[in-house]
Amino acid sequence: MAEPLLDPAVLQGLSDTVGADFVAELVETFASEAPAMLAELRAAQTAGAAERLRRAAHSLKSNAHTFGALRLAEGARALELGGLPTSAAAFAERVAALETDFAATLARLREVQHG
Amino acid sequence: MADVLRFGCAELRPAERALFVDGQPAALGSRAFDVLMVLVESRERVVSKGELLDRVWPGLVVEENNLQVQVSALRKLLGAQAIATVPGRGYQFTLAPGADAPSPPRAAPAVVAPAVRGGSARVLVADDNKVNRLLLTRSLQLMGHQVESVDNGRLALERLRREPFDLLLLDLEMPELDGFALLTKLRDDPALSELPVVVTSSVESVAAVARCIELGAEDFLHKPVNPVLLKARVGSLLEKKRLRDEQKALLARLSDADGAPDVGATGATIGSIASGNVMATVLVARLAGDALADLPADEAIELLGAWATLMVDAVEGQHGLIATLTGDTIVAVFGTLRAAPDAREDMSAALRTATDMAELTDLLAHERQAEHRAAITTAVGIASGPLLVGVASAARRAAYVCVGAAVERATELAAAAARPGQDAQVALVDESTAAALEGRVALRKRTQPPGCRALVAAPTSVTLAG
Repeated sequence: MAEPLLDPAVLQGLSDTVGADFVAELVETFASEAPAMLAELRAAQTAGAAERLRRAAHSLKSNAHTFGALRLAEGARALELGGLPTSAAAFAERVAALETDFAATLARLREVQHG
Repeated sequence: MADVLRFGCAELRPAERALFVDGQPAALGSRAFDVLMVLVESRERVVSKGELLDRVWPGLVVEENNLQVQVSALRKLLGAQAIATVPGRGYQFTLAPGADAPSPPRAAPAVVAPAVRGGSARVLVADDNKVNRLLLTRSLQLMGHQVESVDNGRLALERLRREPFDLLLLDLEMPELDGFALLTKLRDDPALSELPVVVTSSVESVAAVARCIELGAEDFLHKPVNPVLLKARVGSLLEKKRLRDEQKALLARLSDADGAPDVGATGATIGSIASGNVMATVLVARLAGDALADLPADEAIELLGAWATLMVDAVEGQHGLIATLTGDTIVAVFGTLRAAPDAREDMSAALRTATDMAELTDLLAHERQAEHRAAITTAVGIASGPLLVGVASAARRAAYVCVGAAVERATELAAAAARPGQDAQVALVDESTAAALEGRVALRKRTQPPGCRALVAAPTSVTLAG
């Protein structure tokens, strides 16, 4: 069963610790940084660079955990631990799923911030 | 210079040459004001006594004692901890500036960070992930620390070699130089090998955590970092570093290479400190009176801290060595740290210390009197003779020890001087010291206890024949 998109308790804890304004700033930083990580996943796969792929997935996982983005974190973790894919098509599908999860996560994070 | 500088309860107005404490104008002498200004202007560093003397009394030859009196007057107004004595180096102003005070200029580059005071430290965050870097930086800033950040290991190493930091928060996966490589470089660099490092990472391998610890990391925090854990770990490591810095400062003081000669034919030296059998003068000072009676514990500790600060100043001002400091008693030795060519100079320094102690105690006593607190006095015993001195160490502790009849005699005399009914600020001097300084020091004969004299006035200097 897929993980829920967001754990609201994590986000609340973050707000309590560093302030809601700062969390909003952090969310926007994530919004501008994550696309490069997703692009790096595709580029590393094309280049056959296992370490680059692992690092990009690791970074995405780390940030997703920070915001309590459970589904995105789980997807990134699977790529981090999975190594280079044997099927390019299956890999492209997984990255596309990650991109979908990222977009949904970002929308939810912004919604919570402004809600 | 700003019109008004605020530090805690103190407000300094340079143009008016005025100091306000808790909103009330404070009675401060002109020299004390100058000393305060120099310390405040240079509060990012330790100011040596020589520099203070030069800047406050330009062109004049002034005894260090004058400076101590001004510092004591300032401590009386601002609290004993406002001006820290850094053994062997000088003084540093420690009060945190108010929100409208300008930031002090950056400290001169140095690899070893100063001891952490008031819980604030300089922390470097090394993390290539921008979200993590911003979050860690913000969390640490909210804890009151000064935080700098870099996005790779190479830049981290460059910063650490260029500027003093108290702590490094290190990510493992970074470009150019990763966390493991940086830990290895820190371990191999004598100037940085003791820098506390906390690794923060979301790696899931236990082997990676173990490797970090093997490479010298003090701790490992999994990302996302729990803020409560972060605060606890950082606080604990900084406290350990502070204690280590204090020990280092003490060791530096103990081995202060001053070019001093070896002491005596049978003595060797550790750095410039005598080790072996030496002729020396011992001074024992005790906080006397009813000062501690009926005081709440926190006030008693505060009083002991203030008293010890002043007494240590007095000893160090005359180049004495603190052998032990146990609550309300200080044992100091003259003639082992900076050996004088004539033992009478060491004796004379001990007597001057007793006078300085009386003066400094008097300042503290007046402050307490104004608050309707019990009077305090400092009882002093001084004795000279052969001593066995050196560093004695057990498995996990080491101490500079001095053993001999002179220590016992000085202790007895201090106890006698502390008995109720004695003159305020009395210092008792044993016969051998008194006889050696005959004609040079005003000493009063006493019948009780036998074999000693009371110090009336210490010599400001001793001129020795030949």
